[in-house]
Amino acid sequence: MSIMSYNGSALVAMIGKDCVAIASDKRFGIQGQTVSMEFPKIFEMGPQLYIGLPGLATDIQTVAQRLTFRVNLYELRENKRIRPKTFMSMVSNLLYERRFGPYFVDPVIAGLEPVTHKPFVASMDLIGCPMVTEDFVVGGTCSEQLYGMCESLWEPNLEPDDLFETISQSILNAVDRDALAGWGAVVYIIEKDKVTTKTLKARMD
Amino acid sequence: MARRYDTRTTIFSPEGRLYQVEYALEAISHAGTCLGILAEDGVVLASERRNTHKLLDDVNFSEKIYKLNDDLCCSVAGITSDANVLVNELRMIAQRNYLQYQEPIPCEQVVSTLCDIKQVYTQIGGKRPFGVSILYMGWDKHYGFQLYQSDPSGNYGGWKATCIGNNSQAAISMLKQDYKIGETSLNDALAVAVKVLSKTLDMTKLTSDKIEVATLTREGDRTKIRILTTKEVDELIQRHEAEQARLEAEKAKEKK
Repeated sequence: MSIMSYNGSALVAMIGKDCVAIASDKRFGIQGQTVSMEFPKIFEMGPQLYIGLPGLATDIQTVAQRLTFRVNLYELRENKRIRPKTFMSMVSNLLYERRFGPYFVDPVIAGLEPVTHKPFVASMDLIGCPMVTEDFVVGGTCSEQLYGMCESLWEPNLEPDDLFETISQSILNAVDRDALAGWGAVVYIIEKDKVTTKTLKARMD
Repeated sequence: MARRYDTRTTIFSPEGRLYQVEYALEAISHAGTCLGILAEDGVVLASERRNTHKLLDDVNFSEKIYKLNDDLCCSVAGITSDANVLVNELRMIAQRNYLQYQEPIPCEQVVSTLCDIKQVYTQIGGKRPFGVSILYMGWDKHYGFQLYQSDPSGNYGGWKATCIGNNSQAAISMLKQDYKIGETSLNDALAVAVKVLSKTLDMTKLTSDKIEVATLTREGDRTKIRILTTKEVDELIQRHEAEQARLEAEKAKEKK
């Protein structure tokens, strides 16, 4: 039994035309037993900056709370909103501090740069190795399935509505091939002037 | 006589005084004035800006007023470097509490926790006390709008209106007359703040670049902390001067 698949999760973030989208499943389970279908795995860290945390449920919550702590202090001291790239370094630092007793999460970051509104996605491993891509990032117990879905469906410069369709199909079909992830999904579409949240109608098994 | 008993903070004088703490208070009484007023629908902090040198780069948004978290704001008077250390600590106190309890820290607790830290420097360690007095304005779900003051001794108190820094005693006696308990709205508080500051400031004429004013109010379920723009401060000053002119005219009429 791997600790990273104790609770089960699915996370994906994609870049579109002047927008980003991030989606997650909603299942909270303890191995085979599903306990909740309303477990949040995506957290807001700024007006156009979100982090998705797949992995061990307790660490999902702890890392999100500790990150909020650091981001709040950053914004008070610097008197500005944190940029996605800087935030990524902050997450990486937080995780590497626990190099020999890590948090069991594989963060996925999605956001827009504050001034230019350039889309940004990144992911990292549980000890904070960052990876920035130009297309999409995935995480969770069905990451292999997600890679397959994203690679086939994604194309560059998708408008927000098309990006929503693409990311929704990617996550819905990937979690259907994973016993531990699923039970509902939520998608955030982040544009420069608004963030839309949509809950997907999914197979509840 | 006092010389023998004031070189270390950790000892009392024969009269039972802590000289280092009193000297710290003396340092603060030369610093720029800060006043705070509690209103029915919000809190006001107004302070004197002393760093108006032409060559100073305006990187800092605000000279003396600092946000501590979404519901708390403070204004400092005294040694700026000491103040920076304390403001940082206040922010950490608030965030640590939020991390642990996942809900905003009650206002009094922030003040009380920092004052416990300040008190340590008056009793052990051989270090001098912080030369800063702080005015805090905040809102919490337990007691609503609140105004607190803390000083180098580690003492703190909740106030309806108070003042620290230069000419603070004169300001407090003015506030005692002008502040109406239970009847002051935010706009009244702003007017009183400008009136008191214009009397206590060193310079002859009050202008918007010599003071900064911040307000804390509630909108829906969020707290709004705002530093007034130069234009808004100008408006307040104009209204104050118009009111002064009106009172002068009335007095002149009565004399006739």
